[in-house]
Amino acid sequence: MFTNGMFFALVGASIATALAGFGSAKGVGGAAQASMGVLSEDSSKFGKMLVLTLLPGTQGLYGFIVGFLILVNCGVLGGDVPSIAQGLAFLGASLAIGIGGMVSGFAQGRAAVSGIAMSAKDDRNFSKAMVSVTLVEIYALLSFIVSLLVVISVPALKI
Amino acid sequence: MKRVRIVALREDRKRLLEHIQDSALIQIKKPDKKNKGFSKVDVASQMQVFERNVQLCETTLKILDEYAREKKGLLSSFSGRKEIDPDDIGVIASNSGKVIEICRKINDLNKKIVDNSAEQIRISTSLSQLEVWQKLDIPINTEDTKSTAVFIGSLPAEYTDKELSDTITQENSKLEFEFEIQYCENKMTCLVLFVPISQKTMAEDVLRNLGFSKPMTGTSHTPAIKAERLRKRSKELLIDSEKAENEIVALSDNREDIKVTQDYFRIRADKYSVINELDHTNHVFVIEGYIPEKDYEDLVKLCERVSTCYIEAWDADEEEAPVKLKNNRFSTPAQSILTMYAPPSHADIDPTPLLAFFFYFFFGMMFSDAGYGLLMVIAIGIILKVFKPDTQMRNNLKLFQYCGVSTFFWGLVFGSIFGDAPAVLYNYFTDSQITMAQMLPWPTLDPQKDALMLMIISIAFGLVHILVGMGCKFYICFKQKDYAAAFFDTGLWMLMLVGFAVIGVGMATTQTVLYIGAGIAIACAVGLILTQGRNKKGFGKVIGGLASLYDVTSYISDLLSYSRLLALGLTTGVMAQVFNMLATMFGKGVVGMIFMIVIMLLGHAINIGLNALGSYVHTMRLQYVEMFSKFYEGGGQEFEPFSLKSKYIKIKEDK
Repeated sequence: MFTNGMFFALVGASIATALAGFGSAKGVGGAAQASMGVLSEDSSKFGKMLVLTLLPGTQGLYGFIVGFLILVNCGVLGGDVPSIAQGLAFLGASLAIGIGGMVSGFAQGRAAVSGIAMSAKDDRNFSKAMVSVTLVEIYALLSFIVSLLVVISVPALKI
Repeated sequence: MKRVRIVALREDRKRLLEHIQDSALIQIKKPDKKNKGFSKVDVASQMQVFERNVQLCETTLKILDEYAREKKGLLSSFSGRKEIDPDDIGVIASNSGKVIEICRKINDLNKKIVDNSAEQIRISTSLSQLEVWQKLDIPINTEDTKSTAVFIGSLPAEYTDKELSDTITQENSKLEFEFEIQYCENKMTCLVLFVPISQKTMAEDVLRNLGFSKPMTGTSHTPAIKAERLRKRSKELLIDSEKAENEIVALSDNREDIKVTQDYFRIRADKYSVINELDHTNHVFVIEGYIPEKDYEDLVKLCERVSTCYIEAWDADEEEAPVKLKNNRFSTPAQSILTMYAPPSHADIDPTPLLAFFFYFFFGMMFSDAGYGLLMVIAIGIILKVFKPDTQMRNNLKLFQYCGVSTFFWGLVFGSIFGDAPAVLYNYFTDSQITMAQMLPWPTLDPQKDALMLMIISIAFGLVHILVGMGCKFYICFKQKDYAAAFFDTGLWMLMLVGFAVIGVGMATTQTVLYIGAGIAIACAVGLILTQGRNKKGFGKVIGGLASLYDVTSYISDLLSYSRLLALGLTTGVMAQVFNMLATMFGKGVVGMIFMIVIMLLGHAINIGLNALGSYVHTMRLQYVEMFSKFYEGGGQEFEPFSLKSKYIKIKEDK
């Protein structure tokens, strides 16, 4: 049915970008709601609130980068057209950041909401809140690195 | 840090305190207990006056902002406080009465405007209530005559003349009545009803059954006249408010004076709050406080110059004394990162220089773009020159400037200058196929192609970072003569990590190196098993030792955490690349060119915003979580000298 793996590679690019983006969108959305609640009381906290709100946004970026690198390597924006096995490898690689990014985006969003509430009470809590919220991010990072290492090595694989 | 005690004559109090406040040398310490023979001077009432004035100025400035917004540049938040001459303080003081008068006036005017708008609301409610009675040609308050009772009011339903007369007859057929419908709409009928006075109670019953109610706004004039009067009043109020507003706008020229005066009172309130705490006798008063050792000479000179006094100093109790951080130009900017975590306690060493180095280093590695780095350095340089920000803001800006330098160099290493903009633009104009690596004359490390290599490098840097942190712990333990903790708890783990590193190198090179590494690691593990249970009894010794090996997981997760150096570095580069690619997608026509410029500017601005934030946050996390957890206790008190805490002005130092 398929003569090459382009289709799978493109599905992979979409999964990486969309699922991770979904996680970030939900995370940032929730955090933004909470921070706007705080800002309605005290608009001078905007800078700090912005930092905490944007923290769950990185997953979407990671997903986008994996998606982009797949496009670069699968013959859409450069590279050679992949074989079916290579296409499936791209698809498999995208699952890591897709799922990992999505779930960690949700989790980080919830942590960011609590962080916002905490630093709204006392400005000095801000750095603690910020560090605590970034603790979640390591799991998105690990997913990203696995996806990344696979994606960049697929073109060289003889499969 | 030294404890210091100054005893001086009461008549010198004002002068001495003012000079101490100006010089910001000592942190005043409240006397812990009541000292016999001393009493406090109650200056609370003066203090309240000053604080009230500060408050008054504050509200006045807010009012001014509401009616005559201050014109501020986009970057004005960087600019420092206004410098004034020490001699000008006298002028400010003598003007303060006048300024406070102006503040009061502005507040009164504002109150008038607020009151007027409240009355406007009342008027407009009355007007809307009168609306339905416009056709009525007698006053709403018209009273009964000798022979006729008058009812003026509304029913909660719509009636035509016939329906109403039928309804009333239905209710009570004996009632004789005459009525006139004034208004009938929106489920409401306004009417005037006349009945013979003898039937008044009967009529009242009927009306009550129908749900009759009297109008809210009574008036002894006809509604039309009343409405006219209200409108006139409303117009007057409007003019009045406008006049008041104009007056406020006219007074807004005094904004600078008000700010300066506010600071003046703020400083005085501060001073009086100190006086409130000091011990006094009939003739002398005592100031106690902390002073950094090197400033003591200056303080003695200062005090002897301005007053007759006796000064003594002794070494402060380390546990209670505040901590003053002292750093060179390179590391001072990172001090705020440290104090954001916690100021060091007396047991800590000041890690700012290490923190500063790694902060700049890691930030640069994550942001890693020569173009962005250069932009940061230049933009901050200009801001520093033009706006002359205050110390704290200047330090924060400097922090990013140094980070910018490191970003620049890492950008060169990764071969990234606004992403791959130079190559993309070259290809765009010449239709060639060149890459950044071919373009740059030096060998580059492409994070996309050599990701694995870069990850190993990142983790290696992480290892160094963690080892430095543990080295600090080692040093602290050693200094406290806790040799067991130094060598067994820290030293063995450090050696173990080195062993792991050697194994890593061995895997890439030769077997011999691998065996050496494994030997080191195993030796350390044995050492740990033997020593880690040393505070436990019996069987616990073995268990404690074995359990401590479990810590290896935490070290591994710490090390893996440094892979973010790769991830964020890659993010910046790829995002920049994506924007460059998008920018050149619209062809070479005029429209394409315009698109290219707009997309490039916008795209790189977004990229800088997002990734600078990411790099900042993650660098901070690496310092706080991975490094500080190895040795840093924190929880000290920062040295906060008694000084001029002003918002808008600063006093030029005498030179």
